[in-house]
Amino acid sequence: MTPNRHILAAAFALALAGAQAQPYDLLLKGGHLIDPANGRDGRFDVAVRRDTIALVAPDIPAAQAARVVDLKGRYLAPGLIDMHVHVFHGNHPDAYIADGYTSVPPDGFTFRSGVTTVVDAGSSGWRNFPQFKKQTIDRSKTRVLAFLNIAGTGMASRFEEQNLDDMNPQQAAYMVTRLHPDILVGIKSAHFWGGFEQVDRAVTAGRLADVPVIVDFGEHQPPNSIRSLFFDHLRPGDIFTHTYSYGPKNRETVVDEDLRVKPFVLEAQRRGIVFDVGHGGGAFSFRQAKPAMEQGFWPDVISTDLHTESMNAGMKDLNNVMSKFLNMGMPLKDVVARVTSYPARVIRRRALGQLAVGAVADICVFEVQEGAFGFLDVRGFRMDGSRRIQNLLTVRAGRIVWDLHGMAAADWRSELK
Amino acid sequence: MSPVMRLRLAIALCLALGPRYTSAQGEAPVSPPVARYDLLLRGGRVLDPRSGRDGRYDVAVHDGRIARIARRIDPATARRVASVRGLLVTAGLVDIHTHVFAGSGTGRFADGTSSVNPDQHCPMQGVTTVVDAGTSGWRNFEALHRQVMEPSRTRVLAFLNIAGAGMSGKPAEEDSADMGWPAARAMLAAHADRIVGIKVGHYTRPGEWPLQVAREMADSARLPVFVECHLPEIPLARQLAFLRPGDIMTHCFEQVSEREPFVLPDGSLRAEVLEARSRGVLFDLGHGGAGFWFDQAIPAIRAGFLPSTLGTDMHRNSLQASMKSLPSVMSKCLAMGMTLPEVVARATWEPARAIRRPDIGHLAEGAPADIAVFRIERGHFGYVDAGGRRIVGRRRLSAEMTLRDGRVTWDLQGRSADPWGR
Repeated sequence: MTPNRHILAAAFALALAGAQAQPYDLLLKGGHLIDPANGRDGRFDVAVRRDTIALVAPDIPAAQAARVVDLKGRYLAPGLIDMHVHVFHGNHPDAYIADGYTSVPPDGFTFRSGVTTVVDAGSSGWRNFPQFKKQTIDRSKTRVLAFLNIAGTGMASRFEEQNLDDMNPQQAAYMVTRLHPDILVGIKSAHFWGGFEQVDRAVTAGRLADVPVIVDFGEHQPPNSIRSLFFDHLRPGDIFTHTYSYGPKNRETVVDEDLRVKPFVLEAQRRGIVFDVGHGGGAFSFRQAKPAMEQGFWPDVISTDLHTESMNAGMKDLNNVMSKFLNMGMPLKDVVARVTSYPARVIRRRALGQLAVGAVADICVFEVQEGAFGFLDVRGFRMDGSRRIQNLLTVRAGRIVWDLHGMAAADWRSELK
Repeated sequence: MSPVMRLRLAIALCLALGPRYTSAQGEAPVSPPVARYDLLLRGGRVLDPRSGRDGRYDVAVHDGRIARIARRIDPATARRVASVRGLLVTAGLVDIHTHVFAGSGTGRFADGTSSVNPDQHCPMQGVTTVVDAGTSGWRNFEALHRQVMEPSRTRVLAFLNIAGAGMSGKPAEEDSADMGWPAARAMLAAHADRIVGIKVGHYTRPGEWPLQVAREMADSARLPVFVECHLPEIPLARQLAFLRPGDIMTHCFEQVSEREPFVLPDGSLRAEVLEARSRGVLFDLGHGGAGFWFDQAIPAIRAGFLPSTLGTDMHRNSLQASMKSLPSVMSKCLAMGMTLPEVVARATWEPARAIRRPDIGHLAEGAPADIAVFRIERGHFGYVDAGGRRIVGRRRLSAEMTLRDGRVTWDLQGRSADPWGR
């Protein structure tokens, strides 16, 4: 053996020893973990190796990780799932959401609020989903899943959305089950001006593909009956979005004019209809949400309906919508469940929204700020609150993709030594 | 109506009804031609812990309710008379811990073959009310309602499991992502007449999540929490720390590896158990197949630690093992030194109070006529625990008659029947 070989062997042994001493790439230490799917709500350290959760335990030695982030006083949770967004961003001048300006590119809006998975709510249909995939999904660091619109061209414009001749359950189901089962989680029905024809086709597609349907049930003048929607058209597991919208001229509300939750709405929830917030630019009013919360009608999923018309208005971001519910009396762990384990269950992606060993390392770190905060609804009314959720750090597949205060970074002077 | 019309109506009514309700020519009223009561239980020893009544009384039943309780009620006032002389008359028993979500699913409790049909087992035990201990959750409670509650003559109430699909086996029943959904709260509100508490148990993963969820759901609906065991990762002291006055922990005399036993080797009770009792936490016996051990029960009872209620944990297997029936569990408690009033209270009024149903579990005029009649047999009777050990008692309770809402649902010797040949 030549000396060179000796040196190589020694170096290899050292490297091996080093790897054994530091089996983890990243250790998030000292934080309060809320991981509803694994029943955890307490002090836990989370260790990441490559893109995977390697260990979750009350106390993991700092020496075992190449990089350690001190999370004392902070919360950590599975990377958030925003189950209702519009991210089919494009520049087609005649389009509004499909390949249009109303959609946003996801990475610029997700990681900063702890979101690692979004579900596009029917921006595309079976005709233009391939374009959406090439243009946005394949190019995003954010995990983008989607509900496929029952309308062939998705949300190209209001006119295409009325065309029953281009709502084809067989085509939609085929795309979900055969072509893109890894991305497509369900079917969307929205913005229809007629009766129940569109939602019925969406449910037909949902049955054919065995996936849930999400329904935006506005824009009917006069409004169609949501009681009939819940009991005659949807199935348990199907999703009603824009739950706390107030626009009684074109959308039946869940809370009546005397501020009472309609009893059949609770019955629908009991039967398994899933209620999604879908805040958006026009679909969240405190005059609906506050009485509903007080009377025990809570949403199953908290989501943003992110797009250009909502992000600068009352919605802002997912942390802001979560904070509204926190200030309306929902305990923090219940808020977290509604952006992690619950949506994961609703879209049947149980591996997401949880931090068991072996799960993909999608993690968010946030703090709950105390102070005087105001929260806007879409009609310009304010609710005062005392707590605000602020995301600090986001990990997507083991990589730090957002670090508001540089918590994971070394001090700048360290490179001068 | 004008005064004239009113007068005409009065005259017409007198003409129509007069002959039936007044005697002719002003004679003294005749005795009523029809009996006032549907059934008279005559000559039994009435034991009603709520009122403290204990003695020889007649009990008259009419229209589904207890119409009268008195030292002596004229048998001529009843259409049917059952002599229960020498027998014990109590309120229909309330079994606070059962699994009755019977269905066709093999090897599971929820909608499965491990549960039993209440009407096949309860009347012959003197049981008129059972509480299903969380066999269903919100996803299948309405199936329990449809399949069992509605068609059963036995009154079936339930603790709702925090697991969405109840006791449907692992891994579903310990999926914390399926706990606490708003639909469960909606279920509590919609079925407040049937759901009497929140059940938590059978969760082998680390963490206290299920107890937290159960606590919040119970508090939001102002219902008690019912803790079954099989929570191996949560120490007993932590479980007890979650419980408030009126909450219930079952399997109190269990001796298994997954939960610290209540009684220490020196025969004394754990301090945290005594502390919990002193602040009003209730402890159910919850016999079941493995939940009852003389090594625990006998020292505890000697130390004055009596179970709050005598739930049987009736299911397919426990029925055939050492549990057998609620009267058998009561008899076993007599054999261990509890008194008859103590035993009867813990199978009637105490469970009714625990589930906050003061309308049942007692014998009072106006109450639903849920009544049990027992023979107290005397002799040498063997009673066995989950460890296969036997003790011998001198008394055994066996149900002679059961009434549910005034209907005879069990009548071992035909006491309420007409004699043949008359």
